[in-house]
Amino acid sequence: IKLISDSGYQGEITSVSTACHQIEVFSRVLRTSITSMLEGGEEIMEKNLPEFTKMVCHGEHTYLYSQVLMHILSQEPKGGSNIRRLCQELQKSASARGLDVTPITLALSRAAAYPRACQALSAMLSRAALNPADISVLYKMYLEMNPPPVELIRVPAFLDLLVESLFKPGFKINPEHKSKYVYVLSYAASVTEIYKKSVRKNINKDELKPTVQALEKVQALCGQNKNSSELIADVNTLFLNIKFPVIAYGVLKWVDYTVSDASYFKLNPDTTPLHLVLIDEIVTNHLLLHQKALDLFTRLFESSFEELDVLVRLELKKTVLDRMVHLFSRGCVIPVVGYIRRCFVKQETDISLIRHFVMEILDVIAPPYTPEFIQMFLPLIENKDITGSMKSDDGSNPVSEFLSHCKSDGMVS
Amino acid sequence: MATGDTSLWLHNKLGSTDDLWSGKTICSQLSQEKLQSTVACFHTLQPHVKVKLLFSFLHIPRRNVEQWKSDLEDLLMMAIHDTDQWVSMTGEILRTYPATGMLNLDLEDNSTFADVLADLKKIAIKKSTDFTVLPMECQYLNKTALLTITGQQPQPLKHFALKRKPKSAALRAELLQKSSEAASSKKNN
Repeated sequence: IKLISDSGYQGEITSVSTACHQIEVFSRVLRTSITSMLEGGEEIMEKNLPEFTKMVCHGEHTYLYSQVLMHILSQEPKGGSNIRRLCQELQKSASARGLDVTPITLALSRAAAYPRACQALSAMLSRAALNPADISVLYKMYLEMNPPPVELIRVPAFLDLLVESLFKPGFKINPEHKSKYVYVLSYAASVTEIYKKSVRKNINKDELKPTVQALEKVQALCGQNKNSSELIADVNTLFLNIKFPVIAYGVLKWVDYTVSDASYFKLNPDTTPLHLVLIDEIVTNHLLLHQKALDLFTRLFESSFEELDVLVRLELKKTVLDRMVHLFSRGCVIPVVGYIRRCFVKQETDISLIRHFVMEILDVIAPPYTPEFIQMFLPLIENKDITGSMKSDDGSNPVSEFLSHCKSDGMVS
Repeated sequence: MATGDTSLWLHNKLGSTDDLWSGKTICSQLSQEKLQSTVACFHTLQPHVKVKLLFSFLHIPRRNVEQWKSDLEDLLMMAIHDTDQWVSMTGEILRTYPATGMLNLDLEDNSTFADVLADLKKIAIKKSTDFTVLPMECQYLNKTALLTITGQQPQPLKHFALKRKPKSAALRAELLQKSSEAASSKKNN
């Protein structure tokens, strides 16, 4: 094995336990995997992550070694954030495999310098559940004049647990403690610190109070279990406060739970239910939540909705497609078109739905187009089953307009 | 406790090669006395048992780590000088843990580690501009907080021009209209 590795054929060493046996071989395989993910971008990272996790999580020692290596790289000012994300994805998928990685995560962070905070975080992260006593410890520490670094509570798994407790329908936090949860989450989302040579020079809490107030307001609204018609009057308030990313994240989660309820679309027969329009607003305001929104839309689009009448079901799917068109118009272009392309290739989607999507897209776009977009969209346009019968209301033909544009660009012959 | 007994106990507890994450299972049974007799028999243990034993340290409550610091450090020193590379590397990473609660990141004396690190550093820097996935916590952060972490992010590529707004725009306007009406009628009642 070492000979194979020495000759540079890391990619050929596929057996995990073989690769992990010797530290030298493991290091090279690790280097090859990380390199391919760094060079391939987000899509390759997602694709390779399960195999990568399997190898790295072979033992606690291989996991520790890999995380230490990547942690050092993540500190680099250039390119470090890509690696940091990889560290986090790895942590997440290791936890999902039931492995207790919290001690390593915390030992790598600066938490150890704050034993009380570290203990509180460790207790909650290891059990993947929050509790009022540990939240109170953090709350008190972050109220003090010289709080621990904000970085300590910016642990994605912890933030996710906080949002979950505040926005999951039916989840009850003791009202006496709720404001502490809101405070800790708002603190993590809004406070900035300035460091010079690893010494904290300044803590800016200007945005803390407005974030706390907005979060309290929206959390209370979402927690009231109102139906769509009761919520109408609150739409303005929701739109206004959704501008805070942390609130948008929470509302997205709340909408996800709400619309995933089997009876939701049966009870809300309006053409576009209010909750989905809230996601449009989130998409408009937050680029970083586009992927999460798309995940929800694809899940809805693929739901069977067996309890609904066939025609109602089709209309509902068109409504979901319209949400994807909105997402597309806001800059999430290649992931959205790529998804519809895959639906088309798999041939499991009603062709009228694909046609609806293509028509809506043609209705809003104009040149100049990027070659990447044309390449992605063209196969849908060129397919006669999709666009053969397509005509615009005003008599123009958007399909041939698009094609002739591609011709003049030299993209089609 | 006799050295042989400790060695047997560790072998029974940590000897399996099927589960290489089982170090923490011995935590509740560790004591200062047991650690001291482990120091005496450490050299007789199989490499994977040694590695798992070292990992139990990470799962010991902090107050015990402080209490047993010198015994834990003795074991780590033996590990660092072990002939098995995984044992010595694990020992090296955990070297500072009993005293500080933090891991040792100063590992560049190890040539394998240093080589891989240097290679990956080059690639990470080269790829820093064209592949930017942000750390997960960024999704939660207010704009100002985000800027201090990531700096100004490039605008997403414009794949087309928008000749008109999609249907969602009309829906939004309609919903806001309904909302204002509902709010004012609520006020009037």
